Amino acid sequence: MVSSLAEPLLALRNIRAGYGEAVVLDNISLELADRGSLAVLGRNGVGKSTLLLTIMGFTTLRRGNILWQGRDITALAPHRRARAGIGWVAQEREIFANLTVEENLTVAARPGRWDKRAIFELFPRIGERRANKGNQLSGGEQQMLAMARALMTNPALLLLDEPLEGLAPIIVEELAGALKRMIRDEGTAVILIEQHAGIALSLTEDAVLLERGAIVHRAKSADLMKDAATLDRYIGMKIKA
Amino acid sequence: MIVSMFGVLFDGLAYGMLLFLLSVGLSVTLGMMNFVNLAHCTFGMIGGYVTVTLMNSMGWPFLATLPAAFLVAAAASVVFERTMFRRLYRSTDLDQCLLTIGLVFVSVASAAWLYGTIQQPVNLPSYLRGSYNVMGVTIGVYRLFLIGMSIVITVALVGALEYTRFGAQVRAAVDNQRMARGLGINVDGAFAVTFALGSGLAGLGGALAIDIVGLDPSFALAYLVYVLIVVSVGGLGSIAGSLVAAIVLGISDMAGKYYFPEIGSFLIYLVMLSLLMWRPVGLFGKR
Repeated sequence: MVSSLAEPLLALRNIRAGYGEAVVLDNISLELADRGSLAVLGRNGVGKSTLLLTIMGFTTLRRGNILWQGRDITALAPHRRARAGIGWVAQEREIFANLTVEENLTVAARPGRWDKRAIFELFPRIGERRANKGNQLSGGEQQMLAMARALMTNPALLLLDEPLEGLAPIIVEELAGALKRMIRDEGTAVILIEQHAGIALSLTEDAVLLERGAIVHRAKSADLMKDAATLDRYIGMKIKA
Repeated sequence: MIVSMFGVLFDGLAYGMLLFLLSVGLSVTLGMMNFVNLAHCTFGMIGGYVTVTLMNSMGWPFLATLPAAFLVAAAASVVFERTMFRRLYRSTDLDQCLLTIGLVFVSVASAAWLYGTIQQPVNLPSYLRGSYNVMGVTIGVYRLFLIGMSIVITVALVGALEYTRFGAQVRAAVDNQRMARGLGINVDGAFAVTFALGSGLAGLGGALAIDIVGLDPSFALAYLVYVLIVVSVGGLGSIAGSLVAAIVLGISDMAGKYYFPEIGSFLIYLVMLSLLMWRPVGLFGKR
């Protein structure tokens, strides 16, 4: 298949997916351009994480297909999707507890711009703790490591599942800074799920709102930020300036 | 008394090393992949018959048959894994037990059909025969060779698992399969290699065991008991645990047969029971 400039990096077409018999997502279609960034917002349990798991290939897909750089990856095994350039930061961080920080990075490493040195520059704390076991890290350090580990795969797209959840404000600031650098400076495409809607919208270009497994609203992130009524309706929170 | 004690210790150590080689693969596959492979000693038996066949029918020297025993057992395990075991990774323990114990019976019958039920002879080269006498203690050359070989393999195994990227990927996959896949690690491939390696070591153990315990078709079943004891006492998935458990059990088995011949064969079970009552998850086990 010949890829054209206008071809999206990732395209989901009429996805229906879930776990076993249970359907969580229905009729989801979305596109993400190369170097694009998308915030996925919605209340708890509307299927945000399931969306990322579906892109990785960990759910039961009942209908629709997934295109990656124009190629149908609907039937591709998860590890092959990862190798094709999709990086995943799981909600629970899922650091390998019995591996050292450095091993957590090297097991994921693929050639490219992100190597251990670049990672330790982006997250100096991770570098300081490289010999520690994964289970000896604080929550913030675990989150940095989860992000760093996904970057070691040198992804063209990074899927981030609530990377700022439950972290101290100072860590949130540090991580948001790193995210901004990845999106703006490195041009890594991002799909970001986040409870901090304000931060998520300020980091991304586009946004979708999810409710009961379906996309109910699409907007430019900058516009949605000002649309208090819509935000209040679908996620029940006011944006703090 | 003291002299004989050293002799028993030495023989027990060599026997323990043999048990270690036979069982370490099972500990790894059971502990890491959660697959109950009761047919593990079938691979040990395959290794034994490979050595016997190559030596007696084709005139290979003993040492040259050892890598062949490893490779053939490993290759056989890959065939088993691809065609049968793989389908049962997500099944219950009972399903896995039924399939693999069935394979044990099939392998016992096949070996009896191919080789007969007699003990297979093995002629060790002269440099592995005989013994030294060190201050009254008899040190068998072959047992010394067994111990040395096991030490080399242990070091290589621990090195491969702890200090290579592949080893780290296997540990990552054991820790969290989904995350490992999500990072591009070929979990199935890593497990298949690990499985083949463990079975190959059993094959090597089976070949090395012939001179000590003999080889007949019941091997696959008879040694299953010992191997399961080593794995459960050592703790699932722990190489160090298997090593310590195998040595403790090897020595107590030897000591039992030497000092208390009336109950000799039972001592190993007593040791197992007391160790498991003391540490139910095994000496080095985590769960």
